[in-house]
Amino acid sequence: MAEMWVNMGPQHPMTHGLWNLRVKVDGETIVDAEPEVGYLHRGIEKLCENRTYPQIIPIADRLCYGSSMTWSHLYCMTVEDLTGLEVPERAEYIRVVAIEMQRIASHLMWLAAYAGDLGLSVGFTYTMRDREVFVDLFQALTGGRLTYNFPRIGGVAHDLPPDFDRDAIRAVDYMEKRLREYEDLFDRSKIFMMRNEGIGILRKEDAMNLGVTGPSLRASGVSYDIRKDAPYSVYPEMDFEVATHKDCDCYARYKVRMVEMWQSCRIIRQAIAEMPKGKWRVVAPRTAPEGTGLGRVEDPRGEGMMYVVGDGTDRPYRLKVRSPIFVTVSAAPKILVGYKLADVVAIMGGLDMCIGETDR
Amino acid sequence: MNLYEFSYGIIHWLVDLVNHLWYWLGDWLPWALGDFFTAVGDFAASDGHLSVMTMLLETLIIVIVALINVLNFLWIFRKLSGRILDFYGPYYVGYRIGGWLQNLADGMKLFVKEIIVPAKADKVGFLLAPIIYVGSSLLILATIPFSENFGLSTNPSGEYVPAGALFAIAAFAIAPFTILLAGWSSNNKYTLIGGMRSAAQMMSYEIPLLLTVASVFLLAGSFNFVDIVDMQHDIWFAIPLFIGFVVFLVCLMAEVEIIPFDLPEAEAELVEGWTTEYGGMRFGLFYMTTAVRSYAGGALATALFLGGWHGPSFIPDEIWFLIKAYLVFTVFMWVTWSLPRVRIDQMLGIGWKRLLPLAVLNLFIAAVVKSAGWV
Amino acid sequence: MNEDGGSTRKEDIERAPSRVDEVPEERLIRALMDSFPNSITDFLRLKDGVVRAKIERRDLHMACRLLRDNLGFEHLSMISAVEYEDRFEIVYHVCSYCNRLLLELITHTPKDDPSVDSVAAIWGGANSQEREAFDLMGVKFNNHPRLERILLPKDYLYHPLRKDFRG
Repeated sequence: MAEMWVNMGPQHPMTHGLWNLRVKVDGETIVDAEPEVGYLHRGIEKLCENRTYPQIIPIADRLCYGSSMTWSHLYCMTVEDLTGLEVPERAEYIRVVAIEMQRIASHLMWLAAYAGDLGLSVGFTYTMRDREVFVDLFQALTGGRLTYNFPRIGGVAHDLPPDFDRDAIRAVDYMEKRLREYEDLFDRSKIFMMRNEGIGILRKEDAMNLGVTGPSLRASGVSYDIRKDAPYSVYPEMDFEVATHKDCDCYARYKVRMVEMWQSCRIIRQAIAEMPKGKWRVVAPRTAPEGTGLGRVEDPRGEGMMYVVGDGTDRPYRLKVRSPIFVTVSAAPKILVGYKLADVVAIMGGLDMCIGETDR
Repeated sequence: MNLYEFSYGIIHWLVDLVNHLWYWLGDWLPWALGDFFTAVGDFAASDGHLSVMTMLLETLIIVIVALINVLNFLWIFRKLSGRILDFYGPYYVGYRIGGWLQNLADGMKLFVKEIIVPAKADKVGFLLAPIIYVGSSLLILATIPFSENFGLSTNPSGEYVPAGALFAIAAFAIAPFTILLAGWSSNNKYTLIGGMRSAAQMMSYEIPLLLTVASVFLLAGSFNFVDIVDMQHDIWFAIPLFIGFVVFLVCLMAEVEIIPFDLPEAEAELVEGWTTEYGGMRFGLFYMTTAVRSYAGGALATALFLGGWHGPSFIPDEIWFLIKAYLVFTVFMWVTWSLPRVRIDQMLGIGWKRLLPLAVLNLFIAAVVKSAGWV
Repeated sequence: MNEDGGSTRKEDIERAPSRVDEVPEERLIRALMDSFPNSITDFLRLKDGVVRAKIERRDLHMACRLLRDNLGFEHLSMISAVEYEDRFEIVYHVCSYCNRLLLELITHTPKDDPSVDSVAAIWGGANSQEREAFDLMGVKFNNHPRLERILLPKDYLYHPLRKDFRG
């Protein structure tokens, strides 16, 4: 059969979110690929130039609706770097608990979509059911299920609700039991291994050069995690391990995310145990000084950064968002070439696309 | 009393009833008109006419019973999937009977949908493919008897189709051609890919299927369903031919196209595979035919391997047959929802490299068992 | 994998290759100043592990090559374009995995000629980020393999992030 360009998307059950993947196939084998993003561009960076600093926090939530606590926390961190604000310790601990719970919820949603695409519908429903446990916790904490509007510049919006630590520990215990079940369900399934091992190899040098960050980078053997290597908030006081894997294939990416979930459970336990008493918020000044601020976090999908330029008024002059998936998806041609058309699902699913942050 | 006698009784009674009218008209109307109606009455009461009508009625009864079972299968499919996947399944329609009427509701919905034929599609192929597909699948149902007394027979002594099992397998195997025809004539890149994948999959899994069925024929010494089931009154064929039974089940799953072998219609890539362009009730017929084929497969597995209708006599034979067929189907469902999808080249590898040698081994075992006289 | 999901096997943990071991911030600054005595100015240590420098745009490509090849900066994190009243500033955040440093390299272009050399040949991750800067801000990158719009439609006429674009 001659080579032809196949359009996967923009309306396609596989592509989570709205983007187009043009794939050139020769029979069943992929010869070239070209992702097209921009269908969900909302102009957030321009929008933020007309909003005051606190008004941007809900907008930052909607950057990536799959893991929104991370992005609003990143934004607050960036503005605190610009204004030089000191956040009280209790607020930092609450933020860390929220971020790690968000990481678990985001990885569970990734696993649901990934298993569902590969045909294992039971993986979809079981992981979404377990994600509900954490979404319920978020509802108790912030009032929202998907976008929270919880961090504030100078702390968090309000204190923990009563019995939250007991509920969080219960949720983490339940999650660890379930993680063992998932390892049985996925790792012992021969067909799952057949679909994932040796597929989508991204070598270490290519990963570093192409700007791939996060679990995909750690699955290629580079042990770099911003929480450990450029720590922020109270991560220096947390004891956890960085998950890496030396095979650079889809199975490695899956395994890295499972280990990250284990480590997040560990961090939550420590943060709840060591949380000090005190204030949870400092009042931030209305206007920001002239200058720049930089924030850098380990988003569940990679390295998220924000760069804000202040000009002495109460609105930012420029807010630039670095989205991990925007850079990773442009590395897609490198990973896809040489595999079969049926592998596109496994490979692109393993990169955990979230189009909200890609297109901003 | 077997099905033939039962249907014959009904037809005879019906024809007698109607013949009162014809003979009365023949007596009352004068000359040639009266002769005409008397001749009609005579023709209606003749042997040839009665036997043809009996066979039509038998077919109708069997197809209706089979389709009601298919409705049950569809309900089990959706309800059991729901229970395994941790949700309710059909719930509201037919609330008190567990949502059984949901499939009727879905069927009615599909009836009223708009049916589109794509402009550049090959009309003959597009319209012909579903007809042959559904027709051949229903044909399999006709040849499988539920018990010694309930099956399609052509004479009062209840003899069935002479080479029933062979005919059933042959009808089963018509499907790949129709799928290829449907996929190609839809004039769509995706359906073409789906149709070719589907045809490749089905053809490569036909061969282990036929080999295992051949081993059953070897042990039973006949192609006839009644003989095969009678030979199993001591021991079910699934026990000496255990490998063959497992191979048969795996090949059936690949033929019926359920996960883990449903790549041709894998949603994640090809939307609906070869059925993409079909709408309305045509699409509903495809869905129903999947259930018909899994029912036919379950019935075949029961008749060939699981002892057919043998069982303790407190439950009638037909019910035993159905119970066993439902059990096979439940095992299919269980496997379907536990495994991910297999990629097409891996799937063909399984069919040719793993199942074929096992099927040959099974044939060898059957030959050994038969010649040693253990069965 | 042990009970809580961690792993202590050596082969599971690998380091990125580097040419220079343990370059703290001062050695980085000195290396850059030695190579480009006239163009790099304004060094500032923002935080632990973050250094800012300003560079002239004519030496940008060589400096980036030096950073990647000799100083072990394997990863380009972010390319931002900021428009001021009299200039465009392009901010490059470059990260070194082995040395755990982040360098904020700022270059500026005059308002009427916003063009800069592309670093897409040095770091592949710069490809889509430069396209985005061109799309939204209108900064041209010379020698970019394919400088097209990426987020907005291909036939869109404006550059929305500019201050004179009022929607």
